[in-house]
Amino acid sequence: MPTALDLIAQEAIYRAAYEANRRAAVAVPLDGLRAYERARDGESRPLARYVLAQMVDNFKLAVAEGRPMCGDTGLPRYYVKIGNEAAPEGGFVALERALRQAVAEVTHDIQLRANRVHPLTRRNPGNNVGVFAPSVDYSFEPDADWLEITAVHKGGLFGTDYRMLFPGDGIDGIKRFLLDNMAAFARRGLSCPPVTVGVGIGGAKDQCVRLSKEAACLRVQGDRHPDPTVAALEDELTELGNKTGFGAMGLGGDTTVLDVHAEIAYTHTGGTPVAISQFCHAYRRCTARLYPDGHAEYRGDPQWFTPYYRREGIS
Amino acid sequence: MTERATRAADLREWHITTPVTPDAVAKLRAGDIVYLTGVVFTARDGVYEHTLKQGHEPPPGLCELTNVTMQSSPAGVEVSPGVYEVASLQATAGFRYAQYMDAFLEKFGVKLVIGKAGMAREVYQSVFQKHGAACLSTMGYGLGAIYGKAVERVRQVYWAKELGISEALWVLEVKELGPLLVEGDTLGNSFFEGANQEINRNLEKLYQGLKQPIFRRLGEEQEPGRELF
Repeated sequence: MPTALDLIAQEAIYRAAYEANRRAAVAVPLDGLRAYERARDGESRPLARYVLAQMVDNFKLAVAEGRPMCGDTGLPRYYVKIGNEAAPEGGFVALERALRQAVAEVTHDIQLRANRVHPLTRRNPGNNVGVFAPSVDYSFEPDADWLEITAVHKGGLFGTDYRMLFPGDGIDGIKRFLLDNMAAFARRGLSCPPVTVGVGIGGAKDQCVRLSKEAACLRVQGDRHPDPTVAALEDELTELGNKTGFGAMGLGGDTTVLDVHAEIAYTHTGGTPVAISQFCHAYRRCTARLYPDGHAEYRGDPQWFTPYYRREGIS
Repeated sequence: MTERATRAADLREWHITTPVTPDAVAKLRAGDIVYLTGVVFTARDGVYEHTLKQGHEPPPGLCELTNVTMQSSPAGVEVSPGVYEVASLQATAGFRYAQYMDAFLEKFGVKLVIGKAGMAREVYQSVFQKHGAACLSTMGYGLGAIYGKAVERVRQVYWAKELGISEALWVLEVKELGPLLVEGDTLGNSFFEGANQEINRNLEKLYQGLKQPIFRRLGEEQEPGRELF
């Protein structure tokens, strides 16, 4: 049993959850900033270049003035990675309370839009907290005594879709799904391109949707999957997405997709469930690593897909 | 109303004050850029329902004050009773509200609608043209800090209790709110429909040679080049 000295204090958890959430809303992670700058500098279409330049300016203004970079809060959510030796004070119920409290406080303090409403009555409690809100997903890490809290604010209306494909559909089926997804959601820029695309392949239906969202939101630009088959597909789909020519805001341009990140899970022998998620250009996430002594380190790379999490080496 | 070309993209740029004149709106062409100074009010699902379906009248004096609306709910809070501030601002996808436009433009006397991504050209031709109105789109869509900074003051928030803060009608004083893209002009042009033609040619090529899915999905659009609204 960990002693009181080893426990990660409740107050420190709350502060990290608050700060990760605040930073996610305001400050674009460095990998995102650089990717949008590259897209701007390489863009051949004047109008798309103008729009990309506005996006980069918006990132900088948000940081300079402490304003949310996007007027739409999306659905603020948390991903929590728990070291196997980590012990939060008050247990995980206290941790979840801290996460909810942090969402409500950040909503008020930096004037986030209160987005979360009852899905039928549309009642708005005004603080982005409610039934299953914020959503929290967990993963674990061996040989670690820290907690990592990643806050993501992801746009909510356009870009995510699911499809049950079959082995006979092959890679063509996934490509066609990506094209359909782009034609539906990048048109007129509804999903706010340039986007980072996550593709979840396999598992059960709900697993592939979850993986697609994690792949879109929790990996940095340029990252490639360790499985060479998956990595090759990531390259191929990135190129395909950009050949559509939707570009920034869907006005026509070179960069529709900054990057495609794919994740796999072993699946039913008869099927290939696939989900696609698009992470919009309000590229909002921040990770806090919290140690037992209470100090926190903040960073832009969530390092969510660790070898342990991907079950690497299992065959 | 002043006009100047932007340096970045050789676009025509207008700086307009509210309430906008019929003449100023008529000069706008699809593809132009607009910056607005004056007063705009927000309306989305909640306000359309409240006024058009349930028959509530516009707040007193609003229609004389401004004829520019934004399909938006600002990222703002009530800092003390009745006092609101806005940190970040943008618009939501406007195609969902095409059905309300005729009655809404009539009832509120609106001449400029600021939304996200515009509506179908048919709506501009059948509804907007009749009212001498144009449709502007926010740009990039996630330029929340830039648009938020343009909000100088929240003049009033109506129906926050009835509709909830994210669906309420906000009256905002803005200075140089922009850049906004003229998406639908008073001639009935849609800027996006022009862009779509080229993109659809790309799509047609990319789909070529890909196998049809083994199991089709019932009830969905089969022509990827079509708009889905």
